[in-house]
Amino acid sequence: MTSTSDASFQNDMVGGEHSSPPTVELIDITKRFGQIVACDRVSLTLRSGKIHGILGENGAGKSTLMKVLIGLVLPDAGQIRLHGKPVQITDPIDAATHGIAMVHQHFSLVEALTVWENVALGDVGRLDHRHVRERVAQISEHYGLHINPDDRISDLSAGMRQRVEIIKCLRRDPQVLVFDEPTSVLSPSESEFLFAALRRVVQEEGKAVALVSHKLPEILSVTDEVTIMRDGKVVRAGETAGTAASELARAMVGRDVVLRREHAAFGVMDINDKPTPSPVATTAAAPSPSPALRLVDLHITGRDGRALLSGLTLDVYPGEIVGVAGVEDNGQRTLGDVLSSLVALDSGKVEVAGIGVATGRAGAMAKAGIGVIPEDRHDSGCVLDFTVAENLFIADPDRVSRRGFMNVATMRQRAEVLIRQFSINCTGPNAPMWSLSGGNQQRVVMARELAHDPKVLVAAQPTHGLDVGAIEYMSEQLRNAAATGVGVLLISTELEEVLDLSDRIVVIYNGRIVGEMSKGHVDVERLGMLMTGAGESHE
Amino acid sequence: MSETPEPVENVTPEPGQRSKLASVSEVLTLYAICLFVALALAALLVEFASDKGSWSSVYTVILDGAVRKPGRWGLTLGIAAPILLVGLGTIVSGRAGLVNIGQEGQLVIGAGCATYVGVRIGGPGPLALALTLLCAVIGGALWAGIAGALRFWRNVPEVLTTLLMGTVAANLVGWGLRNRFLLLAPPEGRANRNQVSLPLRTDRRIPRVELFGNEFPLSIVLALVLAFVVWLVLGRTVVGFRLRMLGRNARTAQRSGVDQKRYGIGAMLVSGGFAGLAGGVMLAGGDFGDYQLVANFGAGIGFAGLLAALVARQRALLLIFIAFLFAGLRTGSGFLRATGVSARIADVVQGTLVLAMLLPPAILYLRARRRAIAATSSRT
Amino acid sequence: MGNFFSALADIFTNESLYRNAMIVAVVLMFAASGELVAEKAGTINISLEAMMLGGAYAAAVGQARGGVWGGLLLAALAGLLVAAVQANMSHRLSADQFVVGLVLNVLVLGIVGFLVGSNEPESHVVDRLKVPVLSEIPLIGPALFDQPWVLYLVYPVVPAIWFLLYRTRWGLEVRAIGEDPNASDVSGLSVNKLRRQTIYLTGVLAGIAGGYFLYARSGRFEDSLIGGRGYIAIAAVIFGGWTLKGSVAGCVAFGLVGSFVLTIPSLGYKAIDPAFLAMAPNVVTVVAMTMFAKRVRQPAALARPFIRGLK
Repeated sequence: MTSTSDASFQNDMVGGEHSSPPTVELIDITKRFGQIVACDRVSLTLRSGKIHGILGENGAGKSTLMKVLIGLVLPDAGQIRLHGKPVQITDPIDAATHGIAMVHQHFSLVEALTVWENVALGDVGRLDHRHVRERVAQISEHYGLHINPDDRISDLSAGMRQRVEIIKCLRRDPQVLVFDEPTSVLSPSESEFLFAALRRVVQEEGKAVALVSHKLPEILSVTDEVTIMRDGKVVRAGETAGTAASELARAMVGRDVVLRREHAAFGVMDINDKPTPSPVATTAAAPSPSPALRLVDLHITGRDGRALLSGLTLDVYPGEIVGVAGVEDNGQRTLGDVLSSLVALDSGKVEVAGIGVATGRAGAMAKAGIGVIPEDRHDSGCVLDFTVAENLFIADPDRVSRRGFMNVATMRQRAEVLIRQFSINCTGPNAPMWSLSGGNQQRVVMARELAHDPKVLVAAQPTHGLDVGAIEYMSEQLRNAAATGVGVLLISTELEEVLDLSDRIVVIYNGRIVGEMSKGHVDVERLGMLMTGAGESHE
Repeated sequence: MSETPEPVENVTPEPGQRSKLASVSEVLTLYAICLFVALALAALLVEFASDKGSWSSVYTVILDGAVRKPGRWGLTLGIAAPILLVGLGTIVSGRAGLVNIGQEGQLVIGAGCATYVGVRIGGPGPLALALTLLCAVIGGALWAGIAGALRFWRNVPEVLTTLLMGTVAANLVGWGLRNRFLLLAPPEGRANRNQVSLPLRTDRRIPRVELFGNEFPLSIVLALVLAFVVWLVLGRTVVGFRLRMLGRNARTAQRSGVDQKRYGIGAMLVSGGFAGLAGGVMLAGGDFGDYQLVANFGAGIGFAGLLAALVARQRALLLIFIAFLFAGLRTGSGFLRATGVSARIADVVQGTLVLAMLLPPAILYLRARRRAIAATSSRT
Repeated sequence: MGNFFSALADIFTNESLYRNAMIVAVVLMFAASGELVAEKAGTINISLEAMMLGGAYAAAVGQARGGVWGGLLLAALAGLLVAAVQANMSHRLSADQFVVGLVLNVLVLGIVGFLVGSNEPESHVVDRLKVPVLSEIPLIGPALFDQPWVLYLVYPVVPAIWFLLYRTRWGLEVRAIGEDPNASDVSGLSVNKLRRQTIYLTGVLAGIAGGYFLYARSGRFEDSLIGGRGYIAIAAVIFGGWTLKGSVAGCVAFGLVGSFVLTIPSLGYKAIDPAFLAMAPNVVTVVAMTMFAKRVRQPAALARPFIRGLK
């Protein structure tokens, strides 16, 4: 039944303690997406009356595992047992009938409707609004959630909305509750409240809870058992009590060399060809005096009143790679948008090579010399309906035009050069962008941004959704860019990527930089603490 | 709710060379089937709903009226000119990602402005004609510009404003035609007609050319030249490149230096300007009445141009043929009266044709989408 | 100035002003209440005009064979037929809804015009039915309760639409998909199916609207009978800020404006050109959209097609 040593450890641990079969057992679940193995023979046991934490970085496979549990993803191999009996879960409705419910990470609430209307949504049968209202009020009172069934969702704070999500789940009286990053949008006090309520649900009703998170403190304080995942595997499992934070942090992050080893294991690339130490790391150790990019006290407030950036200050010097590490949704996206001229600042300033740049003005950042490989290339990185050649010149068509006319022949020729130079795999310059694979689309974006001789290159999640070969290529390009004197700002939620590439690492948390360390002095434990808000400090 | 990495990397499969031919023939077959069904439906309507003609005779008569009988293709050319112009404007706004459906109103406003100026100004004929047409352009452009400005300053959907302002335009010009100080002709000039303007003087009409017994205004040449210009600007210039970028991906465009307000409102102005010019050309061309403005002057040309642009799928050169086709349907249906079949059958054919042309791209898009989703469904 | 006010008093105390206004307001109400439901679900149906016109023609044809009720049934079916084309092309095949709507308007006008040209149906106005007591209310009594009896059909329709939208599960789901199709999809609703259903409902009501108008207004079918009132009904929904109350108020206001056109000259005044009254609904709606664009909340997903996987 067990395969990896870690999993057997887990099973030993929980061995004969409980006489009745556990509520849920996931056994040897394997799920592949193309070449990537998202879950590699993962086992997990959820027990009634226990909160089970699932800890891991972005991409460790924990969300995939949960999707298997609620029927959004069908596993390639493995078994699911409920109360000891094997079951098939084919879709979320199926999961619901088995008593498994998920509180979503990104809300599934309709803002314009009231609380009770949202709770009723997705049910069947006659709509009895009085009954639904009463039930909402009842659940709210029972768990001390303070939710008024007639409030409109749009008037509620993120924390209150989450409570509505929970009520929506609890109303169907599930046996198993899955929380996917429940505190990612909550303030600390809201989080505390949530967990207090969660405790009661578990203790009073004997429900089994799975809590997916990458925040160490909450895992430590809330859960009874914990499973740590990395790269699709369970690396540690056991009781939470008595475990030190530093131990968990190290298990979650791994060592910074792991990235290459793991990839080599896929058989895609040969590690012997690629020496690990970056040649630039040494040359850029003494940064030149004037920064290529200077961000001073950036503030942006979102439409819902939440601060997206709150006093972010950061310098990037020519020739260095600065890695911005951090957990998702801490301002990374907004930072990328600012540097892409997509949003204007409320206050603060952006300087490129000492010259101020207007924010939010179309094309201003690109013109000032900021190249961007955006987080979502389909959103602001390329035009899918254009050809590869056109995409290579969207930021600066003047380069291939004369007196306002596009010079198609020149564009073709230059595109062909870039296609060869960046090994873009396509049928030619006239191939439509949408016909390229994700990795090749990314190469087009990369080729364009580098061809414009940028002073600064911003790479936001540059390896998002790419396969291993493409990831390696992308890393190499970033290093090369830095070697030629470009200031590279790498924004990534994949800590290993940041550790692997950066000369200097800063940590972003709640819209500002909360800590910094240089490549030679990386303390993975402390990094993990900073990223999860466990300890804030400035160097 | 999705985990950050997207492990599936090949969202859209790369089309292989081998399957290209197959897919092209598949697309053509799809179009052929849709066209056939459209025409068959129109034919059925003639056969069963009317006791006065058969579908074959109807098609023969339409063909006669559109091109075969003496003098008819000249008329068709004259009608095609404004349809083509309206369609060109629609293409410009459509490429910028804007949905302008108020061409009929913009056209009428253009014609109104042209009439107001054309019957008043003096000066040498050609110059006066040029000024008249310029006023038509400005009128149409400003009318559409209102919708454009509201869209980019107040975020009011341009679809609704252009639609609503169509009726306003018709009424406004109707009001002008009831007032002497605006458009209405003096009583002695209009016999017993109520709403009619003075005709343009002969020296400020668009010259007409006679060729092989057919007569047509030079406006068709203007329209063809402009079609070429639109094709060139959209496809070959930096401005056109940026405009298309805005229409395809506004955020990428913003990052790449395309100012949404400037380009968006500009596209709307051009779009309305073309519709206005169509109105001016109808007035000064001679194929729509007697060089004078009358009530309901638009005669559905604005709609026809809009539909033609949609059928041409925003391609300027293809639009030329569609415009001729629609114009032919109009002139051809004029001959139907003799057979006793209602001329409205032309509208029916036109409508079913457009519906049929909408289907294949929608089906193809949906199928591509389904495939992409099937390829990525595992990651939800 | 005194002259002006006495003229106003004259006009506003005229019974036929309200009676005519109500006849037009009701045709708008039938159509707008259906369109409101469809817009709540996130769709805009320009083909409302075509649905109404098709309904009016069908009612004219049906009256000869099946009487008024048969005519209304046929009208509803005709509206449904147009709606089916709109719904399936736009919310199954994902063709652009405005384009489809526009083409349908041209197409149905062509078909109806063709059919009338081939053989004109015989139809006639239905009788007035005077409701005792209620019709004695001064000014508005006759407008509301001394009208062709088909007009009274709207009285149950409006509250029924309210009930449907705000008291049934279907209505809740409709409002949800118009606001947030993605969240609704996650909650297990079938977004496009629901949207199609709302358009079918719109078709039925718009068809009846056309039939009603034929029987209440002219009795004789002409292809100019509807004359853009479909667009005005859409304007009424927008003007009403996507609420039922507001939409009905919009219909009444636009009906009144239309009625001025007839009333003012009949009383011997000639102050306002009818063109301004005819364009007033649209101008008011555009101005309202501009002024309240930030304050009035339209359904968040209005006019955005839903394709799973696209934002």
